[in-house]
Amino acid sequence: MRSVIVVALAILVLAGIGPLFAPYDPTAINIPDRLSPPTGEFLLGTDALGRDILSRLLHGARWSLGLAFLISVIGLVIGTVIGLAAALGGRLADWVVMRTTDTFLAFPELVAAVVIAGLMGAGTWSLIFALSVTGWMRYARVARGVGLSVKSRGFVTQAKLAGMSPLAIAQWHYLPSLAPSLTVVWTGMFARAILGISALGFLGFGVQPPMPEWGGMLLDARIHMRSTPLQMIWPGMAVVVSVLAINLAGDALRDALAQKAHDA
Amino acid sequence: MIANLSGLLLRAAVVLTGTAIITFALLWNAPGDPALAIAMARYDALLTDDVIDIVRQEAGLNQGFWPAFRAWAQDVLVLDFGRSAVTGREVWSDLLSALYYTAPLAFAGLAIGLGLSLPLAIIATRRPGGFLDRFAVAIASLGTAIPAFWLGLLLILLFSVQLDWLPAMGARTSAHAILPAITLGLGVAASLTRIIRSGILEARARPFLPALRRRGVAPRAIGLDHVAPHAAIPVATVFGLELAFLLEGVVMVEVIFGRPGLGSFLVSGIMSRDFPHVQAVVILTALFFVIVNLAIDLIYRAIDPRIGDSDA
Amino acid sequence: MLKVDHCFVRRGKADALVDIDLTLYPGKTLAVVGESGAGKSTLITMILGLIKPWKGGVTWAGAPVGSCRPSLVMQEPRSAFNPVLSLRRSVMEPIVAQKITLPKDRLARLCDGLELSADILDRRPYEVSIGQAQRVGILRALIAASPLVLFDEPLSALDAVTQKHTAKLIAELQAEEGFAALIVTHDLGYAVAFADEIAVLRAGRIEEMAAAADFALAPRTDYSRTLRDAAIALGALELSE
Repeated sequence: MRSVIVVALAILVLAGIGPLFAPYDPTAINIPDRLSPPTGEFLLGTDALGRDILSRLLHGARWSLGLAFLISVIGLVIGTVIGLAAALGGRLADWVVMRTTDTFLAFPELVAAVVIAGLMGAGTWSLIFALSVTGWMRYARVARGVGLSVKSRGFVTQAKLAGMSPLAIAQWHYLPSLAPSLTVVWTGMFARAILGISALGFLGFGVQPPMPEWGGMLLDARIHMRSTPLQMIWPGMAVVVSVLAINLAGDALRDALAQKAHDA
Repeated sequence: MIANLSGLLLRAAVVLTGTAIITFALLWNAPGDPALAIAMARYDALLTDDVIDIVRQEAGLNQGFWPAFRAWAQDVLVLDFGRSAVTGREVWSDLLSALYYTAPLAFAGLAIGLGLSLPLAIIATRRPGGFLDRFAVAIASLGTAIPAFWLGLLLILLFSVQLDWLPAMGARTSAHAILPAITLGLGVAASLTRIIRSGILEARARPFLPALRRRGVAPRAIGLDHVAPHAAIPVATVFGLELAFLLEGVVMVEVIFGRPGLGSFLVSGIMSRDFPHVQAVVILTALFFVIVNLAIDLIYRAIDPRIGDSDA
Repeated sequence: MLKVDHCFVRRGKADALVDIDLTLYPGKTLAVVGESGAGKSTLITMILGLIKPWKGGVTWAGAPVGSCRPSLVMQEPRSAFNPVLSLRRSVMEPIVAQKITLPKDRLARLCDGLELSADILDRRPYEVSIGQAQRVGILRALIAASPLVLFDEPLSALDAVTQKHTAKLIAELQAEEGFAALIVTHDLGYAVAFADEIAVLRAGRIEEMAAAADFALAPRTDYSRTLRDAAIALGALELSE
């Protein structure tokens, strides 16, 4: 649990204060210095419009990581509400919710996101919508599963007898039981969102230029692969390192929880 | 069993209907005039306003969402996707030629993925927690963190640009398929290694194995007859996910390597607002995955008869 | 007054309860005894209003039973508490939910009566002994002064010494608080010692209903006699008179 919190905070801090360390304006065009290799002046070189790549990477964290965080949290909220509704709402609600979940799961998430974002018209809002609407199903499944098992526990009956409202019961009795497993799912979905944002950005359906976003930077860099191959390395590294860090934290958390369940 | 099967078929039907509704809602709300798109799909690209008006009426587009959906669904139900809004060619013939490029690529990717992950997982689980195991897990973790499109770009950079060993763009020769297949295969291998590894470990932790060993059953026979079937269940479960992963990979890989397959077909269809193209890919993909999931459910029940009583 | 008026409950295709007719007055104790599977838990669930009888009705003083906020002491004391919350939070649930103002010394007085030291309430369910957890369970059932308290096998998770002690505490508190108690148990000795009336439940029907003393001396049906003799043989019931 602690490792996840540390990693999540580190990433948020990076996304938040990273831009402060950027030496240049990430969108400032500077044609004389275009496609510069790494130098003392431009530590990671410049792109085709002479923009400083280091500055774009640091500002890009705000887009790539910040949006991924937002999207994974939106999915978490939608999925939890839907999953709990299925678990608590009776057989019909459960059937409807589970078939809806199946419908959304029947389709590769990223492909669905590409279609949705593309048809809505490229842009940040389309991106957020497309990745959120295709990113809630795992949360819903887990929330439903845990919800069903909590439902039969004695303390839920006691809370009902005490006269607590359904909302208060969900808040006090379901959410604490859901929190650990949902956190594990969340780390996975956070990582997926980073990958999704960069994939959509790379296809041109995501965050629009001139905003620096890692996937979009790769799209720009691709054209100049022959002259400045390094330009293509940095944004990809940024994606891999973030995703890897989050995944490892998630694995550690899952193992810790399994150990705890084993001990209890 | 028959009740089970009809339940599964009902679920499949519901899922397909849902997909159709969502797809149509997206087309309905997409910027641009759907009547124009349909008219272009049916006739040729040069249209007068009254033709579009007639189409609008025929397609029920002036009557609101549901009548329009009904008219649209009648064609889609018999898998009649009409003509491309851009090229005017039959969508089906475009689809089939795209499939001609995509299917071999997908198979090659899956084969490479299995060919790498299966031995790696088996070697890794010889000594769980040992050096090889940790190495395999680390490689697999790294592999799942690398976006397919970046991996593809790196391979192009190394093998086409720097070494000039392999062609990168297009699909003229079979050599053109090598880099895309490797890109796809490496991604598949990364996720499969983890799944197969934990499948083997879980199956091995089953309580009946020590008893078999004490009775003197040969380790090889234990592995094949007892561990393998138990490891097969989680593998079957994730097979659908793996295919989904494969298709996601195909989309990105085809775009990067400029291959005229289903993925490029979809992305270019979206960019040029070629609705007949897009809806054909979406509906057929959904159909494909519904069938795959149905098959997995049935296989699942064949391996473990206990499954199916509860509605999961 | 609790009135269970000719109630029928179906579970799946089978009848779980058939023609249950009971009356319980404030301050009195009714013990429902029977084998496992006789429908004891279903009876409790129905009285609490968590399942509805398809025929008949359950009322408290003429109104639906929910209006008196009946409370329940569960068989497995720990699972009756949310493992992540402090016991105090769980105990206070009825007070908070029903927006009751708690008389100043009520909690202290009940804790005293249940022999619970105040600091126990700040622990979590798995940090106290099972006997303590069960007494906290009783505390929660009593805190909001429910006129009707149901006990579902309240002693069965406890060891023999703790059982006697807890049974005595329940009886003392009932004398003080004056609630009506319905105790479901398979322990005939406990039923005879502490209840005013005993109802024998068998396969969903009430086989016999009698005052506790009469029941021990002269069961009216063969089944009741078998139950009683088994209890005597086990040493769970002694006929002192």
